[in-house]
Amino acid sequence: MDINNVKKQWQTLATTVEAVDYAVSGHDYSLSLERDKVRDFAAFMLEEGFYLVDLMAVHVTPAIEVVYQFAHVETRCRVLARAFVDDNVEMPTISDIYQGANWHERETRDFHGVVFIDHPYLHPLILPEEDVELKPLLKAEAKLKDVEAIRRQPPEPAPEPKPKAKPEAKPEPPKSQEQS
Amino acid sequence: MSMNVEVLEDDKHHRYVLNMGPQHPSTHGVLRVLLELEGEYAMNLLPVLGYGHRCHEKIAEFKPAKSFMPNTARMDYLGALIYNHGFAQLLERACGIEVPERVEYIRVITSELNRIQSHLLWYGAYLLDLGAFTPIMYAFDDREHILDILEDVTGSRLTYCYFRVGGVSKDIDDKFVTSTRAFVKRLRGRFPMYEDLVNGNVILQNRLIDIGELTPQTCARYGVTGPLLRGTGVAYDIRRAEPYSIYSKFDFEIPTETKGDCMASFLVRFRELEQSLRIIEQALDSLPEGPIMAAKVPKKLKIPAGDYNSSVEAPRGELSYYLVSDGSDVPYRLKVRTPSYSNLSIVPEVCQGMLISDVVSAMGSLDLVIPEIDR
Repeated sequence: MDINNVKKQWQTLATTVEAVDYAVSGHDYSLSLERDKVRDFAAFMLEEGFYLVDLMAVHVTPAIEVVYQFAHVETRCRVLARAFVDDNVEMPTISDIYQGANWHERETRDFHGVVFIDHPYLHPLILPEEDVELKPLLKAEAKLKDVEAIRRQPPEPAPEPKPKAKPEAKPEPPKSQEQS
Repeated sequence: MSMNVEVLEDDKHHRYVLNMGPQHPSTHGVLRVLLELEGEYAMNLLPVLGYGHRCHEKIAEFKPAKSFMPNTARMDYLGALIYNHGFAQLLERACGIEVPERVEYIRVITSELNRIQSHLLWYGAYLLDLGAFTPIMYAFDDREHILDILEDVTGSRLTYCYFRVGGVSKDIDDKFVTSTRAFVKRLRGRFPMYEDLVNGNVILQNRLIDIGELTPQTCARYGVTGPLLRGTGVAYDIRRAEPYSIYSKFDFEIPTETKGDCMASFLVRFRELEQSLRIIEQALDSLPEGPIMAAKVPKKLKIPAGDYNSSVEAPRGELSYYLVSDGSDVPYRLKVRTPSYSNLSIVPEVCQGMLISDVVSAMGSLDLVIPEIDR
């Protein structure tokens, strides 16, 4: 695997490609994807020899975020890719590319209600069949956070209590981007 | 996949559905597999999960991250300390806590003891599945020594909760060191006996060779890791690929085989026992003095906003914790990627068209621990 080539290809598939510090986050790269690029991205990752570590969802506003994690067996390269579901809480399946995603997608359907389009057998895996609409991992209204509140903040030069107290405050993210 | 119970056009043969489990002894827990059979051949397999689901990921969202430690031990009851290790490492990484060197040594020694104990139980139970009763008695005899050693230092025999964020709960003493050394010597002396008694046995070879063959490509598509992947010739071990803790200081091999069948993963696991003993010996030889807890670990551990991953090599493959934090001390979302979950998902593909007896041998070679699948 040639990481420079892979990164070049990622640029065409992902909206953002960010190298992150492994010592802090445990990942090497963090990517954001458009929904319709997810399948192309997965096919590319399989071609490059990555294996699927995990597939899961996080309930945030504005929409549920599906998180894909990949790693490589030859070199250390842990990749995290995120994509938002659409208004119908739908997402294209990657279970025909990575067959291991089959169960992960069924579990995500159980817990978050994300519907994976064209999944071969989107049947409850963990939940009993009568509880299919339970969606136990969806957050209550009071606990639901905005997506900016769960993003890593760049290290602040002086201790500022503001970002902690008001994580949803809109002016914060652009300001921190200017600093970085 | 739907189960076809209709009589086929050729009316001499018809398919029927057999329930294997949820209490079948070879599933080692409450796992149910629907087998669509044609005679003795399993034409379709459908694992049914969720009988023992305890909502650990939901529980994690309702209490401080530090207090989740006992839950980790209850996911994989055979690799409890390694699950502790991954979780402690996750929070230390997220909060930037430096761990004293002695702690890392203690963690490695106890984790490797835990790994040996898990492999020994698999060894006995797998052979029991295949119809050999005697080996489990020998394996349990050896395993008992580890349980006694770990009981003295951790206080429990199975679901250990010994590691803390920034350290361990209790220091190891001279008794631990001497009895561990004695155990290393003892187990090494038993290997020739295991080789003679079991590994060369012709019945075992006939049951394992050429059964359930995997390729590195199949493993990548399903996310299969651990001894199964190493049995296909890929020397991938998180202890070496992403050296965590102090594993980079020790000299050990990563056993691999090339064939990818049940015999390959059997031999890989067996040879891993020796490698774990080597790590323990080296760690005991260079065990430093020092504190067993990091100097400053806040009582209320606030995790900075962001997402964190921590991967360790569990006895069955890659264990990853993925934590999403909103800046408070309670995780916003915690996902545990357990190795058995991905490993079991190959069963419908790999076991298709097998004899029922071979299905038992292929599923046994996965070394399943059901509570880590049903988290």
